Amino acid sequence: MAQIPSLDNAPLNLSSLREQSQKELLNILKNIRGKKCLVIDPKLGGTLSLLIPTSLLKENGAELRHLSADPVQTECSKVIYLVFPQLNLMKFITSHIQNDVSKGVQREYFVYFVPRRTVVCEKIFEEEKVHQMLTLGEFPLYVVPLDEDVLSFELDLSLKECLVDGDTSSIWHVANAIHKLEFAFGVIPNVRAKGKASTKVADLLNSLQVEDPVNMGDMAIPEINTLILLDREVDMVTPMCFQLTYEGLLDEILQVNNGSVEVDASIMGGQQDGKKVKVPLNSSDKLYKEIRDLNFEVVVQVLREKATSIQQDYAEVKSTSQSVSELKDFVKKLNSLPEIARHVNLAQHLQSFTCKPSFHGRLDIEQTILELQNYEICFEYIEEMIHKQEPIVNVLRLLVLFSLTNSGLPRKNFDYLRREILHSYGFEHMPSLYNLEKAGLLKKQETKNNWLTITKALQLIVDQTGTSNPNDISYIFSGYAPLSIRLVQHAIRSGWRSIEEIIRLLPGPHLDLKRGVSNANSISETVPGAQSIIDRVADGRRSLVLVVFIGGVTFAEIAALRFLSAQEGIGYDFIVGTTKIVNGNTILDTLISTKN
Amino acid sequence: LLLKESWEFEKNPMASRGSPLHGPRIRLIEQAQKLFSETKEHNFEARAAEEQAKLLRLQHELEVSTKQAIFMDSSISDTIRTCIVLGNHRAAMKVKTEFKVSEKRWYWLKAFALATVRDWEGLEKF
Repeated sequence: MAQIPSLDNAPLNLSSLREQSQKELLNILKNIRGKKCLVIDPKLGGTLSLLIPTSLLKENGAELRHLSADPVQTECSKVIYLVFPQLNLMKFITSHIQNDVSKGVQREYFVYFVPRRTVVCEKIFEEEKVHQMLTLGEFPLYVVPLDEDVLSFELDLSLKECLVDGDTSSIWHVANAIHKLEFAFGVIPNVRAKGKASTKVADLLNSLQVEDPVNMGDMAIPEINTLILLDREVDMVTPMCFQLTYEGLLDEILQVNNGSVEVDASIMGGQQDGKKVKVPLNSSDKLYKEIRDLNFEVVVQVLREKATSIQQDYAEVKSTSQSVSELKDFVKKLNSLPEIARHVNLAQHLQSFTCKPSFHGRLDIEQTILELQNYEICFEYIEEMIHKQEPIVNVLRLLVLFSLTNSGLPRKNFDYLRREILHSYGFEHMPSLYNLEKAGLLKKQETKNNWLTITKALQLIVDQTGTSNPNDISYIFSGYAPLSIRLVQHAIRSGWRSIEEIIRLLPGPHLDLKRGVSNANSISETVPGAQSIIDRVADGRRSLVLVVFIGGVTFAEIAALRFLSAQEGIGYDFIVGTTKIVNGNTILDTLISTKN
Repeated sequence: LLLKESWEFEKNPMASRGSPLHGPRIRLIEQAQKLFSETKEHNFEARAAEEQAKLLRLQHELEVSTKQAIFMDSSISDTIRTCIVLGNHRAAMKVKTEFKVSEKRWYWLKAFALATVRDWEGLEKF
């Protein structure tokens, strides 16, 4: 199975989006004649693998290399760099060129920035006096479809930049990406935003529309009906909880990267030679599409049923003589065997984690923290984790959750735990603690705690409804309904108005916009009485809602949205846009300073 | 500005990690500590920096006395563990009192360390 997902079943024509990016990249290659060496930013490599098969790049006469500090080894006289506009990468490029010059090698150099060139990067080339030797260009890649219903803006550091560094370039990027979508699918009439970055994106979208309007004449009805923008900051609780859906667990334990996981070959039933194999995971795999969003408990059952039903069929085939058409059916079923085997292998591997007592202990304590049940027990649990020097990410993840639901820790405990962390893990974690504090994830208690009010008003904690036949999104975390998705539910049902009081308790301003379809330039600001029900598209099609998470989204939340749109009586399809797929660990990793 | 400066100092000792000249690092941290203590809100940071400087000195002494360069840059807990693993209980005790390590953490560390060297007798005694 290919790693590049098929987008045929997407509710929106996403393949056209991908084809456009492919074409743009190939044009870059074609415009440079002859053999060339394409040097790719390693961080971009994974993204590109979702966009275009490497064979296609090679067909166009490109040798592929990853960009690093070492000089490029190639015979080609033309070198193309494809990079994010990052300063350290510019230094690599200049050093490559200087190295070539000192050896007397003559080459042509091209640098293409993704998605756009920046003045700072050009300044570096000027300072190093190499800019006359370069041809600069842009590869305007703003959005990459990860799957039928997921778009990624591929901004790994957006959350840290917004919360800690005060760098808002990702806001600009997101607004441009959405505006680009509007060119393809029409101006989105309803916009609801919550959070600082989100409201800024909404404002930017409006000014972009004024500067560079999407022509409404040739489009009948906009294909996307509503845009919901949410800052990750609004709901940091959900990503800190351990995900329990199949896809979520795969991400937590094995790390899903660009729609695939890398595992030891031995796990997948291969040889024991320690080799890694890549397993692609997307909706083109029918079985995966069926089980990816289920609670893991159920996944195991489903897999078992599938396997036994095939076994039974096999027994029948052996025992009785069957008609040809029955045999045909059986063979058809056998075709799904490799898929089943693949997921049985993966599930078995995951189970070796989920059946550990420490795993259950962790889930229990998460539940206790979420319900604010027993402060002492939670505090001591975290203290003990620090004393046992468990991996710092695990400790911080629980600690952040603890701090969030308690809206901070009492000063004495706060200082005590920070000191214990420095003692156990070393002084170099000082900046990590500082980052967490600045991002508001770890703080001392100052304000009144609103978590209980929020959970009650939005029904976040639901008594176990049974994970096998769920009727509410709380099945995702076995009893906790993600705050972010509850907000989405309210936003599509009735806008922010009905939960005005609750939403004020969450960080950041909110905004409800209606953008004129007939006269694009008159935009009404924050309508207080925004209309209560989103207009259904006239011809009875389901209307499409684009939910954008600025700062990342977890697989569990995507699962919850898919679950919602599959519910009866809900006439919406969701498309998720995100700066990156994240989980608690990857969020914290960007905030924890590494040792260099 | 003061804050920023102090954070620069903060990051500096980490940048020079692994350099053989530990003397200047201690001085840097002490400078950071002074900067921290000039503002009221950074009491915690100031104390932490002070402790770190103390720890580096102590680790230096330990490295000289044991002639093994394994102490530098490990955390306080790790230092205690290393001491116990080496069988140097007096040094471990000294670190414990010096940094006011709580009894709880002390027990965990000691148990782990003794288990690592399979000192079951020692584990039983304590």
